[in-house]
Amino acid sequence: MSLLNPAYTVARQSVVGAEGLWAKMFDPPRLGPPTPDYVDLARLPPGVRANPVPEVMQAAGYVVTPVAPHTVSRSLMHGVTLPTWDRAQAGRPTQLTFFLFADDALTPPFNNPQYPAPTLRVPRGAVYHAEVGCQGPPPHTIHWHGIEPTPMNDGVGHCSFEVEGKYVYQWQPNFIGTYFYHCHRNTQQHFEFGLFGIMPFMPPDAYFSSIAQTNPNGTVVLNNTPIGAGRDGKFRTAANLAAFPQFPGFIGGDPVNGVATADPLGQYRYDPHAFTVPYDVEVIWVVDDRDSNWSTLAPDPFTSFPVFGSIPGVNDNFHANGGHGAPGPGSFFAFNDFNADYWFITGVPVPAPVGGSAQIPAGITLDPHLNSGVSGTQVSVHVGKGQTGFVRCLCAAYNNARVTFPVDVVIIEWDGRALGVPPFGRYNRPILVKARTPFTISTARRFGAVFNSKTAVNSFATVEFLDTRGNDVLMTALIPFVIS
Amino acid sequence: MTLSRRDFLKSGLGGTAALVVGAAIPAVLESPLFAAVQVTTVNLRITDMMKEMVTHNATNDARCYYWCYKEAHYAMPDCPGPIIFAIQGQRIQLILTNDLDEPHSFGIPGVFLSGPVLPGRTITRTFVASQTGTFLYYDYLNAPVNRMMGLHGAFIVMPAKPVAGHKLTPYSNPSPGVQQLFDDLGTAPWWPGLAWDEGDPSTDTPGCRQNIWVLHEASPNLQAEVGHYTVGKNYPAADFVQRFLHDPFSPTRNNNVAQYFTVSGQSGHFSHNNPYICPYNRVGEPTLIRILNAGLWTHSTHIHANHVYVLRHNNKSDPFAGSLDNPIWVDVYTAQPLDTYDWLVPYMRPPDVPNDLGIGRDDMELGLPVIPTPVPAFGTSGGSTPFGDRTWPPLQELDFHIPRFGERRGTAQDGVTEIDLGVHMSPLCFPMHDHSEPSQVSQGGNYNCGMISGIIFTGDRKGGRPGDTAKVITFPMKPTVADCLVAHGPYYKDGVVPPTVPFMMPSMP
Repeated sequence: MSLLNPAYTVARQSVVGAEGLWAKMFDPPRLGPPTPDYVDLARLPPGVRANPVPEVMQAAGYVVTPVAPHTVSRSLMHGVTLPTWDRAQAGRPTQLTFFLFADDALTPPFNNPQYPAPTLRVPRGAVYHAEVGCQGPPPHTIHWHGIEPTPMNDGVGHCSFEVEGKYVYQWQPNFIGTYFYHCHRNTQQHFEFGLFGIMPFMPPDAYFSSIAQTNPNGTVVLNNTPIGAGRDGKFRTAANLAAFPQFPGFIGGDPVNGVATADPLGQYRYDPHAFTVPYDVEVIWVVDDRDSNWSTLAPDPFTSFPVFGSIPGVNDNFHANGGHGAPGPGSFFAFNDFNADYWFITGVPVPAPVGGSAQIPAGITLDPHLNSGVSGTQVSVHVGKGQTGFVRCLCAAYNNARVTFPVDVVIIEWDGRALGVPPFGRYNRPILVKARTPFTISTARRFGAVFNSKTAVNSFATVEFLDTRGNDVLMTALIPFVIS
Repeated sequence: MTLSRRDFLKSGLGGTAALVVGAAIPAVLESPLFAAVQVTTVNLRITDMMKEMVTHNATNDARCYYWCYKEAHYAMPDCPGPIIFAIQGQRIQLILTNDLDEPHSFGIPGVFLSGPVLPGRTITRTFVASQTGTFLYYDYLNAPVNRMMGLHGAFIVMPAKPVAGHKLTPYSNPSPGVQQLFDDLGTAPWWPGLAWDEGDPSTDTPGCRQNIWVLHEASPNLQAEVGHYTVGKNYPAADFVQRFLHDPFSPTRNNNVAQYFTVSGQSGHFSHNNPYICPYNRVGEPTLIRILNAGLWTHSTHIHANHVYVLRHNNKSDPFAGSLDNPIWVDVYTAQPLDTYDWLVPYMRPPDVPNDLGIGRDDMELGLPVIPTPVPAFGTSGGSTPFGDRTWPPLQELDFHIPRFGERRGTAQDGVTEIDLGVHMSPLCFPMHDHSEPSQVSQGGNYNCGMISGIIFTGDRKGGRPGDTAKVITFPMKPTVADCLVAHGPYYKDGVVPPTVPFMMPSMP
């Protein structure tokens, strides 16, 4: 037996009887259908609310006009080039190609394409509509990662469709935590090239608590409650910290039914603060990597798109670029071969080459225009002694990310699900990670972790980027981490 | 109802061969989705194959050379080798024959090592399935070459009985949190439906529902080189690893980086729309998914539609290293090379379908009213869909066809018969895929022909316990169960639309 004389030939499986499914798997149809099972936001049952975020952002001056009442807008994709940090060095590329989201409703210039995409926050329980427009060229989808709606609203082409024109996605966040959104079309390229943003879900009274009154035309007037905070003025996230008294202000709830605890103020169906902990400072780390070979050689979003054949299963074209012309010298069929050579922390380039190490600057925060109206979210960390800091970390890289904090932290959520919160969390519990203990996450994992230090710290958190082919450390990013 | 293997083999799809060694495991033997053979001896030949991969067709050559375990009962080998099921404590006799040119083996680290079997020889060994759990078996010689060439598979050990006073779990020694979860499934109000081990013949629901996903990467260039190497000599393992993992980038794929990425030997459509690999269950029918990484890459497995509990990682109860008895609830989990881990999929109603409470409690929530206007042109006959009542079940969506009838056409493989490539949006279909996306391709491109499977919702038990047939909803599907499990896109011959089973709402109180 050998290569030239194998004992057996195993045929590819048959597509007979499933030709439609087969063709759709790699060549989904493109359309802009109506949303099935569509909920009229103007006629919600009592106790059910529509997403307040667009109107709150409008009142704050961050949004000009929402595309429709209670409707978020996103458009994709916008091709943009950004300069590399090492463009002055011989032999290095001068720029990277990005594919980006834009929120067209934002006040200029924030309505320009953004990397990462604008943070998208929604209060738990609010009915969510997003009008998504596709261009540059279409089709695209938005998959809301960690959100669990019907397939038409899940944004996966082969299970539903890909958007050409526009579509209104519909779902409702049921769990407070950290999620993200990204294009699920030719994902190995589109996600890599920057089509993603982070998506935190807030307690049910977030945003609503900032509304003093609603006008007849649907616009709102804001009060003094910071945007994103709850009715007591504090920012909160889901957790069960009964075993961790060092985090002040934790509120528990029904030990069996969890958040289904009566609202003492009778304003919401259930207590919006049950099983939440307040935090003083929020930190968002979206750790990402880029491969400049892919950027240079595959700047077309249709690269290596297969096309189903006239006899599906027999003559499908696996050398195509989605009907954008025959493959030629510009064709790129090496998306299996990823080699990161640029890294970013929440859009901030880490100025280190492969094998190197560098820090990002101190004092980096997110602009509220690009943060669903929330002010003060940090990237580089500076928190007061005795304050509770809350880090949301997403690995958007194809590399793995090994994270090390200089202080003790408690991981309170994985992938948007708070540990230990009944009933679904009754089987698990939050995790104390001692200072300087590394742990590793892979692509698309997110964790939420809180810390509260009474002593000063002047150090760094480190994020080591690990190759998924062999676990070598490719680069180490240092994030300033100060407690004073 | 049990279906014969023939019914499923005719679909053209398949899964991995499966064996039950020794004492019967009814849940596995009765499930048509394993089509398992009960044996007293595991009789494996170590041989080789040329395998046609997902993008192989009349106009595109996509083949890969493998070494493989072929079991005596099956006409063909495959990579991975057969799933081997056993009850804990079972004594297993292994007969291993080497049809290749260099020494090979069969091992389950921590459990059993066969020792080498030389070319042309046969050895017989015996070992005991001493611990419950999910194990990789593989040829551990010349590591990792022999394993990476395809000599690997899944070894699954089930407990003989549940822990006294509790529901059956996949383990004889479940940690308290895991036992509590399995006790709650089908009993606690927030998990309406069946326990994990409960089946319901009246709704065609097997018990002890489980799917097994063996992950692997294949390098056609390197595997061809190994297959062409000097007869009788082992390919240098260090060279293999260096080339497989660290070959410099080549824009024309003129290197040894893996080009095919498989779940239980299949990619793309063949691992996603395939009931032998992908779970097809209703809300209320919790399912176990065992994931094993036989490859050399790290993968980041992401499931849509439901978060999953990670019960065990490498057969220990700490999915976060050091935090024992802590089954975290996640939508992504990390697979290092040689890792195994177990996911419990609750099969709860996708919780973010809009509802009146917004807390993910199917037992308490009601879908929201929807606009009662028919949606034109997407429905079954190309006309209007029936209007839905509430967001769940999503009646309008379930009636959609995308592509619509008449929109996308093709020719059958006889080259003559016209077929319509419309696809019914029922059952509800979601993917599971590696989110470290270079594995989502085949031959460097062709997105969605990679390491992917899925999670399919075929209905909603509405809390129906075994025998509560009237409560249970099955989404609109084709007339026979066998047909249902093949495809949910219609196939037209002479333009005749085959009959579909009409959707029936249970009568409201």
